[in-house]
Amino acid sequence: MLDVLEISKAFDDVDRAVDPGTERAIERWLHREARLLDGERYQEWLETCIDADIHYWMPDMETRRRDDPRGTYAYGEAAYFDDRLNELSVRVRRYNEPSAWADNPATRHAHLISNIEVNATDDPDLFAVFSAFTNVRNRNEADQDIIHGRREDVLRRGADGFRLVRRRVFIVQNILLSKNLNTFF
Amino acid sequence: MCGTACSGGGQGRPNMKPVYPKAGSYPEFARLVDRENAQVDRRLFSDEAIYQAELQQIFARAWLFLAHESQIPNAGDFLRTSMGEDDVIVVRQRDGSVRAFLNSCPHRGNRVCMVDKGAKSRGFICNYHGWSFGIDGRLRGTDGKVYDTDTAFEKAQITLTPVAQIDSYKGLIFATFDLAAPSLADFLGPFTFYLDVMLDNDEGGTEFVGGAIRSHIDCNWKFPAENFVGDILHAFWSHQSGAKAILGGGVDLGSRYDELAFQASVYGHGFETNLDKVGNTRTLGYPELVDYVFDLSEKAEKRLGSIRARAIGAISSCTVFPNFSFLPGQNTFRVWHPRGPGKIELVVWTLVNRNAPEHIKELYRKGVMMTFSPGGIFEMDDGENWEYSTRVNQGFVTRQQPLHYGLGIDSADPDRELPGHIHKGSLNDANQRLFYTRWSEFMESDNWTDLQNGVTAPPQKNAQAAE
Repeated sequence: MLDVLEISKAFDDVDRAVDPGTERAIERWLHREARLLDGERYQEWLETCIDADIHYWMPDMETRRRDDPRGTYAYGEAAYFDDRLNELSVRVRRYNEPSAWADNPATRHAHLISNIEVNATDDPDLFAVFSAFTNVRNRNEADQDIIHGRREDVLRRGADGFRLVRRRVFIVQNILLSKNLNTFF
Repeated sequence: MCGTACSGGGQGRPNMKPVYPKAGSYPEFARLVDRENAQVDRRLFSDEAIYQAELQQIFARAWLFLAHESQIPNAGDFLRTSMGEDDVIVVRQRDGSVRAFLNSCPHRGNRVCMVDKGAKSRGFICNYHGWSFGIDGRLRGTDGKVYDTDTAFEKAQITLTPVAQIDSYKGLIFATFDLAAPSLADFLGPFTFYLDVMLDNDEGGTEFVGGAIRSHIDCNWKFPAENFVGDILHAFWSHQSGAKAILGGGVDLGSRYDELAFQASVYGHGFETNLDKVGNTRTLGYPELVDYVFDLSEKAEKRLGSIRARAIGAISSCTVFPNFSFLPGQNTFRVWHPRGPGKIELVVWTLVNRNAPEHIKELYRKGVMMTFSPGGIFEMDDGENWEYSTRVNQGFVTRQQPLHYGLGIDSADPDRELPGHIHKGSLNDANQRLFYTRWSEFMESDNWTDLQNGVTAPPQKNAQAAE
């Protein structure tokens, strides 16, 4: 397996620019994905953005001493998401149920994506993409949850465009300051 | 500094002996639980004075869950947790024992440990003035050596404040701030019969895997505690969407188990089960886990007997009074730390049998993440219920209205040969009534003799006393 697809590994400190057309296309892809998630179009997101080999990981962040070799997070330990296609599909099936009470009435979402850096990899069809995000959820009258973080994505270019094959999501919170995570990042 | 006004003063020097608070008696709060009419006053969920009384009467006296032994296997391994709102360090000693201390420097009070967890530490150093403490809690030294030349400085008597008592039951470490509290074994009483469903169904014992997930929920701590003590009723409605997503159908207790299902309560601790073998485990979504629990259930009959062997993966839940809960079969263990009358910090762990194959442990880790973590398909729908059950009581008139805890009033089953107060059927408010009865005993009683011999004491014990 290519290193960029290994979920436990960070991207090397890459600086491998791609041609402006590819870069623009991937930025458009990220912004469209955010728009689908804002609209709670989860089924469409699953069917048009997600690769069959998806590994989608969002670890729990622990506060550790700087000299602790374990670091802030570790693959194989507690995570909010450590999903393959099966797990993502189960989550989407719940959203599709009318009795998903935490989503009925609907939550209002804003997925803001920034700091996008698109990099080439050793595989001409795989792209290593950094981005940062602000995820805002507001529901009922005044319940608001804001989560900031970074993502490390691998996109695969195929016949029908790009698909997400690996995503690492790192939020800046230790204790999650929200009662739930009824969203994707 | 305080002259002669301080009792037990140190002859002009600070008296640094640990101070363990004394219990009081709050009969006016105790009466807010109306056992006669199966109703509870909403001030329990909103009133600041009641909350402060809870910290004194309950969280400063009861045995509270700290950690699983497996989280800190080696000398110097430590983690930070809470007892009530008190920040506590739990640390493995060189002799293998475990000690716990308030995470507060005796000098100016700053935290001496700023991290969640760590391994093989030699001690804790306060960032403020460099006071340094060993893993045994004793003051080892101070920065700058100023104190070395101060002949009045009595270093030997300065330690981090230890908990009053610490002990463990089959891997689970508990502590109390009350020197007068009965032993952990007496505090749990015959409730260990039910804890063993999860803690002793296999000869190798248990461990936590994968660390902890923490989250904040803006609810009173008692709503989730009572939910796990015996509210399977909510699952049908609250968790319909999660059940459909993972099982393809709603939550189904299965009518053929009606006769088997029961609720059990001892000293306010509660366990309810449907005895359907794998109902909870099925919701984790991995067939390999269901196979594993079927096999385990058969093998465990020798250790636990047939009733408890059927409970290992069954639709079921449990709370150890006041705020430690778990779900058999789904293997999520959790504490609802109070953070004011309207807020909790929830900490969630995953328990597995130490002897389980690695791929089974990994599936439990993922299964708990998928169901009972903040993004899980079941926990997702719990938080908002508890938040609004709490928040509506800001309404002055709203909070005058009683709450109904009357399901299964006539369902007592004293003839069933199981420890504790037994009620028929799992769809029942019985355990919740006894949870709040225990709450009111803690509010009323300033001594453990009364606390251990009240209405919530196991009836078998009362029968013995009467003979």
